[in-house]
Amino acid sequence: MSQPLILIIEDEEALRRFLIPTLSGQKYQVLSAATAAEGLAMARSHNPDLVLLDLGLPDMDGMAVLKGIRSWSRKPVVILSARNQERDKVRALDQGADDYLAKPFGAAELLARIRVALRHTIPADVAEPVVFSGGFRIDLERREVSLGGRIVKLTALEYRLLEALVRRNGKVATHSQLLAEVWGPGGEGNTHYLRIYMAMLRRKLEADPTRPRHFITEPNVGYRLNLDAPTP
Amino acid sequence: METAPRPILVALGAEARALRLIQAGFRLARKRSAPWIAVHVETGGAQLAEDGEQVQVWLQEAQRLGAEVRVIQAPTLAQGLSEATRSSHAQALLLGRSRDRWPWARVGHSTADELQRRGLDTYIEVLDDRSDSAGPEHRGTGFGAMVGTLSVLAACSGLAWLVPREGNIALVLPVYLAAVAFIAHRWGQGLAVLAAVLATLLYNFLLETPRFSDAAAHWPNLLFFLAMLLAAQAVVGLLHRLRDQAREVQRREVHTASLYLLGRELARSLTPRQVADSAAEHIRRVFKVEACLLFPEGSGWRALPPPSLDPGLPPPEDLLPRLDVGERLGDPLEPLSLGRTYCLSLTGTDRSEGVLQVLPRETLGLPPGTWELLKAFAVQIALALERLRWLEEARRAQVESETERMRSTLLGAIGHDLRTPLAAIHGAAGSLLLPGQVPESTRRDLLTMIQDESERLAHLLGNLLDLTRLESGSIQVQKEWQPLEEVVGSALGRMERRQGALPVHVDLPQGLTLAPFDAVLIEQVLVNLLTNAQRHAPGQDTDLRAWDEPGWVHLEVADRGPGIPNGFEDRIFDKFFRLPEAPEGSVGLGLAICRAIVQAHGGRIHVEGRPGGGSSFRFALPLDGTPPQPPEGAL
Repeated sequence: MSQPLILIIEDEEALRRFLIPTLSGQKYQVLSAATAAEGLAMARSHNPDLVLLDLGLPDMDGMAVLKGIRSWSRKPVVILSARNQERDKVRALDQGADDYLAKPFGAAELLARIRVALRHTIPADVAEPVVFSGGFRIDLERREVSLGGRIVKLTALEYRLLEALVRRNGKVATHSQLLAEVWGPGGEGNTHYLRIYMAMLRRKLEADPTRPRHFITEPNVGYRLNLDAPTP
Repeated sequence: METAPRPILVALGAEARALRLIQAGFRLARKRSAPWIAVHVETGGAQLAEDGEQVQVWLQEAQRLGAEVRVIQAPTLAQGLSEATRSSHAQALLLGRSRDRWPWARVGHSTADELQRRGLDTYIEVLDDRSDSAGPEHRGTGFGAMVGTLSVLAACSGLAWLVPREGNIALVLPVYLAAVAFIAHRWGQGLAVLAAVLATLLYNFLLETPRFSDAAAHWPNLLFFLAMLLAAQAVVGLLHRLRDQAREVQRREVHTASLYLLGRELARSLTPRQVADSAAEHIRRVFKVEACLLFPEGSGWRALPPPSLDPGLPPPEDLLPRLDVGERLGDPLEPLSLGRTYCLSLTGTDRSEGVLQVLPRETLGLPPGTWELLKAFAVQIALALERLRWLEEARRAQVESETERMRSTLLGAIGHDLRTPLAAIHGAAGSLLLPGQVPESTRRDLLTMIQDESERLAHLLGNLLDLTRLESGSIQVQKEWQPLEEVVGSALGRMERRQGALPVHVDLPQGLTLAPFDAVLIEQVLVNLLTNAQRHAPGQDTDLRAWDEPGWVHLEVADRGPGIPNGFEDRIFDKFFRLPEAPEGSVGLGLAICRAIVQAHGGRIHVEGRPGGGSSFRFALPLDGTPPQPPEGAL
């Protein structure tokens, strides 16, 4: 996959005019569609490595397009959404989208998000040790977390939450996804549990919990673990 | 030495006439610059519930006109009043005379006489009401009336029997004349005619010589007799007219008083619901009927106070024209009868405001004369509703002109704030497209400018959209209990990812403070306040503090900038308000958004000066509801 193929499904021409050269300039192959129907057809015929999907398409609900793609492909889908549409974002993420970008976004943000989305998530049965920048290291095999060389003691739930974020490899995780993965069925609705455990993790693993570098909050959506945080 | 004037005492019962007493008392007190006291004597006798209510209304009215109000208990009215007069050293006592309420007044020892006998040196003024002297009406053809008529005739015949036979007609006729007049006056015309016929027969049959002879033989006598009867009828007719006039005066007085009270109550009403409540209440009290107001709503009716008296009403488009027909035909007194209820159109000065529906308690309906008063009530109610509608229209017009003003301010602000960055972007892009080589450093400068200015545009548009949505209520506040730490972290993170490290000192309470709020919105508030602080005190330290108290959590963003000039502390939260010395780049929306968000949370926001210079923006969010239990093992 030397030159990943990216399919842009976006009806606004101005955005396509910005997206296509930006991505082409970064050694991606780019296809674009202006309607949902065209986009779905191109997704089937070209099997792109990543889809940038606008939620507000004229001919079809973006969610329906997402479902159409997900019915046969596990390839990453990144949602392009307007601001203040947290509910739509969460719905799309829970329906299988990998990440989202809120308009307006800059080129740097776009490329970073695409890089993360193209990374593989770490399957639950793979337990290779993962080392992060920023001085902390997680050994998924030995279930061990260390910060600056010192072992950090985590409770079982804290570790499970951390692991759920780690396995997403930098992609956003919604509240309900994390609750389901960490607390299991029936855990939904206890979002405040999640928030409290996240605060605990930050206190143990962040230099300054009021300026988190790793455990990034996406308000009203969920959390992501920033893997590219600079060393403090 | 001047002493305080002695008060004026006004005795109030439940009668409609009490309003006149109240007014007289008020006038007298004002004339003599004396205080006045409205007193009601409860004699412990059986009192009607409606009377009790009415007394309360009168006492309230007196109180409104500045009277002190007293309710005293005494075995008799006279005793109660004399005690009240003595204890208050009243200079004058005003009371009304009412035959039906105080029967002893009729037989010579009125309450006033009684009070005189008790040696009261107070000036007693009896407000005599001629209309009251008419007394109760005993019309009808009841058994009692028939027995009375026959008894009177029998007594007259007995009297006539005693008179010598010959030439007695001059003596007998006045007796019958008086009897028939009495019967007519007492029991009505019907029985009077019956009595006249009977009297004629009796006279001819019993009294004319020879007794028990044929009446036809004495027809001249008979003619004379009938003429006298006609004269009696004329006397009675005059009496009745006098009585009717008196009754009319009294009725008008009752009408005026009840209309006055209704009007006063309606004037205080602020909503159609209040109008309906007081209208129904007054109508129930005055007419002894159930009432409600109906307002067209879609194809049905909305009843206030609910429920509707008759659920099976025709839809408004059918009913309203039928009510209006009555109006047009100039027959305002006939309400439309529907089922067991009656409907009157509530028509003010220009259009129908709704329908007044009444349900008489008895199946007989209402006495004929009361429809007129009910109609007057309906007009009052309609006018009150109309007044509310006009107020509402005026308010709406004001909101509209406010919106219009907003719009022009918006255009003015946008005209400048949108055009400036657009001009820069347009110019920079044009320069970049010029033929020929642009030096690399210039190229970068121009591109950076395009990026910065477009970011400014996006920010401005985002703010405008947010504010519009907040004000229109289309943003729903998603309150969830969450740690303050997290929203502070995401606000700072969002700013620092864009601008690099900021000199912000964060001071949060020890432990994890949870509060219910919408993270996206409160993050926006913090970002706006921090951006403001950075803009007004660039490069200087900003303090972000939080603390809690029972029921509230407080957050503060304090800067060391120039501070807010006196008198602007409220206005800076207004839309498009910019301090004259504000640096470039602010449109005057950030703080307006903050206020809208905080208010949408049920919180409050304000700014105050900071000891040592600068300003401190503080907002408080209510901790409503119970915080969720922290999970076991955490904290």
